[in-house]
Amino acid sequence: MKARLAALRAEFGEALARARDAAELQAVRDRFLGRKAGSVTQLMKTLGGLAADARREAGQALNEAKVEFEARLETARAAAEACARKERLARDRVDTSLPGRMPWQGRRHPLTTVREELEDIFVAMGYEVYDGPEVEDDYHCFEALNMPRDHPARDMQDTFYLAGTGGLLLRTHTSTSQIRYMLENPHPPEVRIICPGKCYRRDAPDLTHSPMFQQIEALVVGPGISLGDLKGTIEAFLHALFGEEHPVRFRPSYFPYTEPSVEVDLGCVACGGNGCRVCKGTGWLEIMGSGMVNPAVFEAVNARLGRVVYDPEQVTGFAFGLGIERVAILRHDVGDIRLFYGGDLRFLEQFR
Amino acid sequence: MRLPISWLKEHVDVPVEPRKLADDLTLAGLAVDAVEGRGDEAVLDLDITTNRVDCMNVRGVAREAAVIYGTTLRPLATELSETGAPATEALRVVIEAPELCPRFCARILDVRMGPSPAWLRERLESVGVRPISNVVDLTNYVMMEMGHPSHAFDLAKIPSRELRVRWARPGESVRTLDGVERRLEAGMGVIAGPDGALSLAGIMGGASSEVSDDTRTVALEAAYWDPPAIRRTARALGMHTEASHRFERGADPEAASAATARIAHLLVRIGAGSVRPGLIDVRPAPPVERSAILRPARLRALLGVDVPEARAAAILAGLGFGVGQAESEGRRVAIPSWRGDVAREADLIEEVGRHHGLDKIPSSLPPARRRGGLRRAQLAARQVRDVLVGAGLDEVVRTSFVPAGLEARPAVTVANPLADVEGELRTSLVDPGLLDTLKRNLNHGHRDVRIFEVGRVFLPSGAGVEERTHLGVLLSGAGRPRTWSEETRDVDFFDAKGLVELLAARLGWPISLGKGPVPAWIHPGKSTCLLASGEGIGHAGAVHPEAAARLELRGEVFVAELRVDALLEAKPAEARARPLPRHPGVSRDLSLVLDGAIAAEELVAWAHQGAGALLRSVRVSGRYVGVQIPEGKVGLLLTLHYQEPERTLTSDEVQASVEGAVRALRARGVEIRGE
Repeated sequence: MKARLAALRAEFGEALARARDAAELQAVRDRFLGRKAGSVTQLMKTLGGLAADARREAGQALNEAKVEFEARLETARAAAEACARKERLARDRVDTSLPGRMPWQGRRHPLTTVREELEDIFVAMGYEVYDGPEVEDDYHCFEALNMPRDHPARDMQDTFYLAGTGGLLLRTHTSTSQIRYMLENPHPPEVRIICPGKCYRRDAPDLTHSPMFQQIEALVVGPGISLGDLKGTIEAFLHALFGEEHPVRFRPSYFPYTEPSVEVDLGCVACGGNGCRVCKGTGWLEIMGSGMVNPAVFEAVNARLGRVVYDPEQVTGFAFGLGIERVAILRHDVGDIRLFYGGDLRFLEQFR
Repeated sequence: MRLPISWLKEHVDVPVEPRKLADDLTLAGLAVDAVEGRGDEAVLDLDITTNRVDCMNVRGVAREAAVIYGTTLRPLATELSETGAPATEALRVVIEAPELCPRFCARILDVRMGPSPAWLRERLESVGVRPISNVVDLTNYVMMEMGHPSHAFDLAKIPSRELRVRWARPGESVRTLDGVERRLEAGMGVIAGPDGALSLAGIMGGASSEVSDDTRTVALEAAYWDPPAIRRTARALGMHTEASHRFERGADPEAASAATARIAHLLVRIGAGSVRPGLIDVRPAPPVERSAILRPARLRALLGVDVPEARAAAILAGLGFGVGQAESEGRRVAIPSWRGDVAREADLIEEVGRHHGLDKIPSSLPPARRRGGLRRAQLAARQVRDVLVGAGLDEVVRTSFVPAGLEARPAVTVANPLADVEGELRTSLVDPGLLDTLKRNLNHGHRDVRIFEVGRVFLPSGAGVEERTHLGVLLSGAGRPRTWSEETRDVDFFDAKGLVELLAARLGWPISLGKGPVPAWIHPGKSTCLLASGEGIGHAGAVHPEAAARLELRGEVFVAELRVDALLEAKPAEARARPLPRHPGVSRDLSLVLDGAIAAEELVAWAHQGAGALLRSVRVSGRYVGVQIPEGKVGLLLTLHYQEPERTLTSDEVQASVEGAVRALRARGVEIRGE
């Protein structure tokens, strides 16, 4: 028995060594350990003819051989599989230079992006965002803003009037929202709002003019609001928008609804203030108008409210208005304002 | 406005180079747009704000420069030696309309007409004024120098030697210097003789009394005119002159006499004539003294900086204000006649602030007393954009002015449209806005156009206008991204519907699809009405083939448009988390063949009826037509899903429910395959 087992083990070793893949290993298993025809199984069947002691001894030896064969087969199978995987891996290749399959993604309009960024800057500074109508009347657009009829400042804002409406018009600026908000909120006179939106002026479209454009207006009213607060606020948001490295300059100007009125210049973002095509050689970009709310505006609101809510002796305020296109043009180097409203995807697809 | 440095220096010492002067003036509120040339040859180009008509001349700028540099404004030479008979004997002036003309000054000049001396001609040319003759040039010169417009009449051409200032009479007309016959209306001011208007008050002289080479005696007029009257008249006549520009912004009523004196002085100096004794000065009302109180505390509060009182007083005095003594309520400050823009304390504070220097005001941030934030509708509008951009649509913004669209709708029109811009306000975002956007992009070779817009539309509402916020969507071309590995397919109705469903799901909008009117330019068989709370708020569907043909569109185009104001405002219920199922669910597929006219939603309803309450959900998971399916029929794969939260389902109960569904479907003539 011992001799037969030794021969079998040698035979098994040879067969195992010859087997090159999982199928051949299976064949080896069938040949030696198969339930019916396996060599070990066959030997087991011969044990019946042995004496009890010999049978026990031989049985044990056979069982050991069986366990040993199983283990060696398993090791060989694992090795064969690892080898197969390695071969498969070697062949498993994609051309990574083919384009990726990008999911469809659209883009916000660049003016929306700028507007939302502006909103976020102001919201972080505690501002509410107020939406007003685009169709307005003379009172909200001019009269309450200290521009009575026949006021020369109306020349700066040539207005579209709407037929058959008894004088309704398309607002020429978002300053209308100052009046609307104060009239709608006649309680403790503390205001801190921005009002983004579309405006309309009778300017023939060209590189720098569009009869429809967008502004963002800010109004802050409260006890002790000063020109210093106006300066600090404008500097803070322009720095947030364009970067700390650009200086901000304030110079006196004129708007009927502010007194004092202040024009705001930003150090040219294109040349860093050295003078270039964008800033027409001055190093400065005229970026927005601002000022301290003219007491006449508070008085107009009070008059309409029928009581003194915004008492110019008790509260002061500042307001400013910024062209959203102006920011987008500077930021993205857009050469023609009309591109924003032309719907040309070749233009819109250039933005993130 | 062009300002030669040499002219400025006649009035004030300027201790700096022109470029520095330009910066200093700009920071004091007189914006210098450009500096041409160098040194005393330099010319500044100023952009004076409309309120500062007093600075639309050399002397006004000189006054500002004097305050900036602490120098002195030199007095204007106006001394005269008068000869001949008194002026009042040569001309009578009557003001019939004092509200139009509070002051009228005139002088009588005996002149020798001819060209101006070279220095005068050159100076006028340097500020862009064309020299004409010595007398006319002097009126222009003095207007540029000190800001007050004046006019020279040929005295011989004034009938009866009488000027009457009055409102125009109906039907009256006057031929102005530019040769145009002007038909006048009530509310227009004229200077008239006994027979009719001679001159358009404050705007332009008349041809009939114009000075010429033959003129021997001139009636020189300088008046103050009511600004709104001048503005209305100039606009009504479509005129804009140097004179009207100044008068409509408010000239200096006290400068009228000085202007005539200065012109007369210069006339004598250039040897072009002599001056008759006396100023004709008709002034129906006494001059108005204006003043305001300036309180130091108020100044500090408004500017946010302490300006020493002496400094503030010096600035104001330098600008010509009369600064009173400091008293308990503040200082009374008399406002000079040329500062019509200054009326109240805030105006005085602005004067101090701009000359003190805005750069000296420390920046601060106002304390926030309340929480800021976006409103519900603003947040929702952002989310709409997020969802659509994420779904691969580009946002466009189109103008509110539109040409006629596919559908004729009542629209708000602009009363005074621009020549090349449409005069109608949009009532829809899609028609024509997004359709036009599609056309343009197809023309540029774009194959897949997937766009949306959120914006206002304008509907006539009685005599008013109703503004609504709409969302418009347009899909055209491929229904999924084009790649190198897969065939694409064309966009179809379900892409459009899916976007609406996506919005409804992501924003919590209670939108349902249903029957209802859709525009005539929408395909009747591939469209749906969009409803919210049972009310129609829009539609989604294909552009009607007839409309598509008219627009020359290739391929099918799908659009959706809905009114969103109320949806954006509505606050959707917060999502509530349910516990996760601890027991397995079961799905069963039913393969159906049915009449193509049966709607999928009906089928789903029947399945639910038959299957009973155990059935959780039914999904259409496949749809087939073609070889395996008889003509006129469709194959549908329905997936029935079962799930009980608290227990494991038994196969018997599921089987019973599925059989119920099968019976219900069969009862409606639906064929079940493989069951």
